[in-house]
Amino acid sequence: MKRMPTPVEMGSITDRAFTIIWSDGHRSQYTWRNLRAGCPCARCKGEWNYRPVSLRAEEFPADLRAVRLDRVGAYALRFTWMDGHDTGIYPFPLLRHELCECGDAAHARSTE
Amino acid sequence: MAGTRDGVTREQVLAALADVIDPELHKSIVELDMVKDVAVTDGVVRVDALLTIGACPLRETIVDSIRAKIGGIRGVTGVTVNLGVMSAEQRQTLVGRLRGDGTPQRPSSFLGPESATRVIAVASGKGGVGKSTVTVNLAAALARAGSQVGVLDADVYGFSIPRMLGVHGRPTMIDQMLIPLEVAGIRVISIGFLLPSEEEAVIWRGPLLHKTLTTFINEVHWGPDLDYLLIDLPPGTGDVSITIAQTLPQSHMLLVTTPQLAASQVARRAARMAEKVNMEVVGIIENMAYFLPAVGAEPVYVFGRGGGAVLARELEVPLLGEIPLDQSVREGGDEGRPVVISHPDSAAAAAFRKAAERLRDVVPMQARHA
Repeated sequence: MKRMPTPVEMGSITDRAFTIIWSDGHRSQYTWRNLRAGCPCARCKGEWNYRPVSLRAEEFPADLRAVRLDRVGAYALRFTWMDGHDTGIYPFPLLRHELCECGDAAHARSTE
Repeated sequence: MAGTRDGVTREQVLAALADVIDPELHKSIVELDMVKDVAVTDGVVRVDALLTIGACPLRETIVDSIRAKIGGIRGVTGVTVNLGVMSAEQRQTLVGRLRGDGTPQRPSSFLGPESATRVIAVASGKGGVGKSTVTVNLAAALARAGSQVGVLDADVYGFSIPRMLGVHGRPTMIDQMLIPLEVAGIRVISIGFLLPSEEEAVIWRGPLLHKTLTTFINEVHWGPDLDYLLIDLPPGTGDVSITIAQTLPQSHMLLVTTPQLAASQVARRAARMAEKVNMEVVGIIENMAYFLPAVGAEPVYVFGRGGGAVLARELEVPLLGEIPLDQSVREGGDEGRPVVISHPDSAAAAAFRKAAERLRDVVPMQARHA
């Protein structure tokens, strides 16, 4: 069975940009606003017959930060944002392949 | 309280008491601070001990055990045991000690990544394939092979573990900590123990289910020496499975299926879930694999053949066992004595033992740091 990449090292929520070093060796960088806009929860991304307008990073204050970071099981991270929003569970594949801002994450996925 | 002319010393008595294990908490009563005072007068030993609760169901066991250990010391001519009950404060200290195994902050012994307990969630996808039967028999086989085993009945709506293991009663509660019941060397917790009666139905929404399970994980004293915790999941990939995946990151999944496609295809979905929550599927057990009409007869493949093997190949995980359809398996379950215990010579029991052995190979017991 194929296993997903997992973080071997993570930056702190006090850092200017969030970083994850993955078990496959890749180093991902994230801006806090993009992470927030990428929230996968039903309220932000919608579900069934609820289709909200997509969030854009610019909608959030430039100094937006997570105030808390938790691991969820063996597969995801949960951020609690300054405004209290905390319903997003970010699975590792989403962070590694979709939200990574290094530019070649998509490429990394296609060659897997 | 020093040594007497018979040479029996307080130290000797305390050393002997260190071997008296609390039958519920699985720790020495000395270590648990349950021994209040020891006095030796002319070879007669008096022990003052404190029980956790007044109505401790196992008080006789403790008294007998104390008498036996001290009676074994040379020069002891009599033993008196006085039992008291811990104060709320003393109990609190004890709970702190149990929780963290020394450090009060650590919630449960197997939640941390450093825990030596291997957690195995038994899942199926489809219902009725024999998850609970497989769980109790694997547990019994592992226990017989010398492992410390716990069974967490996570099938809250359709719990059947109490019946299958023949264990009934109410777990002792020590300040918010549940002490699992024990049968055949297996520690067991089930919602069935907490309901007014086992006939009661559980009609709950998801959040209550989640709360119950996290209680079973966090607030049950499984014991620091537990080697394997088997979790009997309900069928499907719902609330319970998600809670387990989120609360026990180190747990493995064992898939149970029957040979027919209707079962193995649904089992594949459980595997798909395992993949999504990054849980390792450690193997497949094919239950009701075949029927032996008579000893030495050709097997009859009632539900088709090889569904488990196909699934195992597809998922690239080992097929840990093919359990024959056998009346003794059903009888064992209904009578509360798993076939591994009730009919150890049957083909089904042998198949379960073999599967447990393979499971121990794929998920070996971990060395403990003392």
